[in-house]
Amino acid sequence: MMRTLSLLLAVAGLLTATPARAQDTLDKIKQSGVLTIGTRTGSPPFAYVNRNNEWVGFTIDLVEQLVKPPVEKAVGKSIKIEKKESTPPTRIPLLTSNAVDLIAGTMTDTAERRQSVDFSLTYFYTGAQFLVKKGSPIHGINDIAGKRIASQQGSTNAKIIREKYPQAQLREFPDQPAAFQALLQGQVDAYTNDGIQLYGLKGKAPKPDDWDVVGDFYSEEPYGMAMRKGDAKFKAAVDAGLKQGLESGKYFEIYDKWFGPKSELPYPMTPQVKAYLMKQIGK
Amino acid sequence: MNYTFKWSVLWSGQSGTWLLQGLITTLELSAVAWVLAVALGIVSGALRTVPLPPLRWVATFYVEFFRNVPLLVWMFFWYFAVPPLLPRPAQDWLFNHGAEFWAGTVALGVYHGARMSEVIRSGIGAIPRTQFEASLAMGLTTFQAYRLVILPVALRLIVPPGTSESLNLLKNSSVALTISVAELTFQARQIETYTAKAIEAFSAVTLIYLVLCLSIATIMARVERAYAIPGLISRTRAVD
Repeated sequence: MMRTLSLLLAVAGLLTATPARAQDTLDKIKQSGVLTIGTRTGSPPFAYVNRNNEWVGFTIDLVEQLVKPPVEKAVGKSIKIEKKESTPPTRIPLLTSNAVDLIAGTMTDTAERRQSVDFSLTYFYTGAQFLVKKGSPIHGINDIAGKRIASQQGSTNAKIIREKYPQAQLREFPDQPAAFQALLQGQVDAYTNDGIQLYGLKGKAPKPDDWDVVGDFYSEEPYGMAMRKGDAKFKAAVDAGLKQGLESGKYFEIYDKWFGPKSELPYPMTPQVKAYLMKQIGK
Repeated sequence: MNYTFKWSVLWSGQSGTWLLQGLITTLELSAVAWVLAVALGIVSGALRTVPLPPLRWVATFYVEFFRNVPLLVWMFFWYFAVPPLLPRPAQDWLFNHGAEFWAGTVALGVYHGARMSEVIRSGIGAIPRTQFEASLAMGLTTFQAYRLVILPVALRLIVPPGTSESLNLLKNSSVALTISVAELTFQARQIETYTAKAIEAFSAVTLIYLVLCLSIATIMARVERAYAIPGLISRTRAVD
C-alpha cells in the first residue's frame, strides 16, 4: 500500500514538475534534443513522401541544412529533426499546443496569421493560379463564375474566392490529394492553389500533358516558417540560418536541387523573386 | 505557451452565420442518413432472422461488408468511385447539384444501416421463438408475422441501443468534411482559419454537438417510456 502510494506521488510529482508551458522553444529543444517540425506529406517539391517512401523536400532541406546549425549552436548540442504531418487547418493549433516547434511546409505569411504566430524570413514567393484540364474554358480568375472550383480548406486562396468571387462554386477539401483527385475525376472544373504547388501536382498526374496551370497570380504568397508568438530567441536562430543561407549562396544551391533545370520540377527563379528574397537581408 | 482567449470571435464577423449553416447541414445530413440507416437496418436485421437461407446470406453480406470498412473509406468510395460509373451528363448534373452532400448521406446511411441491422437483429433475437411460431399458427404469413408481431416488439426493445447508434451517426456526420461537405466541424475549422482561434471554435462546436446529442437522448428516453410494453421492458426496475 505504502509503495503504491509513494509511486503514485512520484508520478504526480513528475507530472507537475514538467514545465510544459512555461519554457521557451530553445529550452524545450535543449531538454529533448529534438526540433519538431510540422510539414506536409503531399506538397511536392516542398515536402512530400517520394517514390522511395522518404519524407523529403525543399523546405525540409532548408530546415536540415540552414536552420538546424544555428539552433544547435544556440542550445549548445546536436539535435535531431522530427517531422510531423500538418495541414492548413491543423498547423496553428499544433504549434500553439506545443506539439510542433516550427511549421515548415507551404505556409503563406499573412497579416492575419501574424496575430497568432511569428514568421521567419520569406523563403519562397509564389501566387495563386488554377490547375485545369487542357482546353478548359477557365483561363484565370475572371472565368470561374458558376464553375466548380476545388481549394484546400484553410488556404488563403479559398478565402479570396469565397469573399471576392462568390459566383464560383467553391468546394473545400481538407488536403491536397483529395482536391486533386476531385479534379482528376471531374468532380470539379479547376483546382486552385499556389502556382508552384500546381506545377508539382501536374508533374505527379498520370498524364502530366493533359493538365495546364493557368491564370495570373491573383494573390501574393510569400512562404515563411511559423513559430509560436513572442519567442524572440528561437526566431532569431531560425532567421539567422535562412539569412546565412541566402548570404553564402547555400540557399540557392538547395533551390537549384529542387527547382533547377535538372530537377523533377524546373521552376527558374525570376529576378523579381530573387530581389525580394535578398532585400530581406539588406542586399 | 501564452494563449489569450477571445470568445468574441464566435459572434463577430461571419462566425455565427457559419455555425448556423454548419448546424443546418449537419442536421439535414444526419436526418436523411438516419432514415436510410433505419430503413436498411430494419430490412436487413429482419432478413437475418428469417427461415430462408438465401435472404439471410444477402443480409449477412451487406452487414459484414459495410460495417467492417472504415467510414472514411466509404465517404471516398461514394464520392470518388461511384459517380464515374454514371454517364457523363448525369455526373455533371450531380456535381452541380450537391454531389458531396448526397455522397456523404449515402455513405453515412449505408454504413450505419449495417450497424443498425445488428441492433435490430439482437432485438428480434430477444423475442421468444414461440411468438413467431404462434403467429404462424394463427394463420399469419411470415411477412405478416414480422410486420405485425415481431418487428413492433423488437423496435420497442431496441430503443436504448438504437439511440446510441443514432447519436454515433450524428457525430460521424463530421467525417463528411473530408469530401468538402460544409457541416458543423468544417465550419469550426473555417472559423479557426479566419481567426486562428481554434480552442474557441472547437469549444463552440463541442457544445453544439453535446446539446444536440443530449436532446436526442432525452427525446428517445421519453419515446421508450411511452411505447414500453408493460411486463416486457422494465427500464426503472432494472436497477432494483
